[in-house]
Amino acid sequence: MIAATKTAAGLRPGDAMPKARKTFSSANLVMYGAATWDWHRLHHDDAFAHKMGLPAPVIDGQIYGALFAKQATGWLGPKAFVRRLSFRMRSMAFAGDTLHMAGQVSQILTEEDCPIVVLSQQLTKDDDIVAEATTEVRLPD
Amino acid sequence: MPLLTEELKTWIGREVTYAAREELGRASIRYFALAIDDENPLYQDEGYAREAGFSGVIAPPTFVVETCQYAHRPPNANGYIGHSWDLPVSGCRMIRGGNDYEFIRPVLASDRVSVTWTLEDIVERKSRLGGTQLFVTSVGRYYDNAKDLIAVNSETLVYQPLRGEP
Repeated sequence: MIAATKTAAGLRPGDAMPKARKTFSSANLVMYGAATWDWHRLHHDDAFAHKMGLPAPVIDGQIYGALFAKQATGWLGPKAFVRRLSFRMRSMAFAGDTLHMAGQVSQILTEEDCPIVVLSQQLTKDDDIVAEATTEVRLPD
Repeated sequence: MPLLTEELKTWIGREVTYAAREELGRASIRYFALAIDDENPLYQDEGYAREAGFSGVIAPPTFVVETCQYAHRPPNANGYIGHSWDLPVSGCRMIRGGNDYEFIRPVLASDRVSVTWTLEDIVERKSRLGGTQLFVTSVGRYYDNAKDLIAVNSETLVYQPLRGEP
């Protein structure tokens, strides 16, 4: 049996999404790079990162999009469809960093008879925002 | 000297298309899900995905716009094979500014994707760190085997001048 999908009736602006935490090891960065056919050395080569004036290989910002989407769909359920996801980088994060994810419902809309839940999501490192997203998810009627 | 040269301005509007040689495939979907620690059965359990209303396993939402599987060329000097404009900008490091994704429908293992990239705009703005930096916005439009649009990826990359750090 499949998991339940949340409905708009069960959600309110301000509802908090479950929090999550992830430490990005070098192996995690290599796995992500390989899985996306992206072997750019900025994400795995210490010497290259230093040459670019950075303390360590950079976590590929694209993975933040994947993590925002994962958090949204994991929370809302299998019939929730992410129709838009916009994220902005606010600061850099590097191999070895631990990032914390949080999010809230910011709005609930109806478009063409379909409920759309708008999420505001954040990834932080210590007290710094690393990336922020606005994610629109279509829910079943 | 401005970063946004007259030569660079002529790049705005350029377009290039890449067509994947094969379908995305279930293995690459599962690999991506592993890489982002996502155990959602929609991405690996055919029966579960069908019960949820799909014709088979689907990809995690952003997979199609993150993978460079459409590319077929040798890695460049930095080990990158995906789309890049190789702009005539030197003495800078490139970092991500942000992405705006739009998804039209769930992506399936059977989708063979082509993507058309357009260089929408290049602007030079003041940096909080002093000096200026370049913001390069490109739009990737992703199509399926039937040439129907399945996703749009508007991406902003930032070129920051290196300041002589070691």
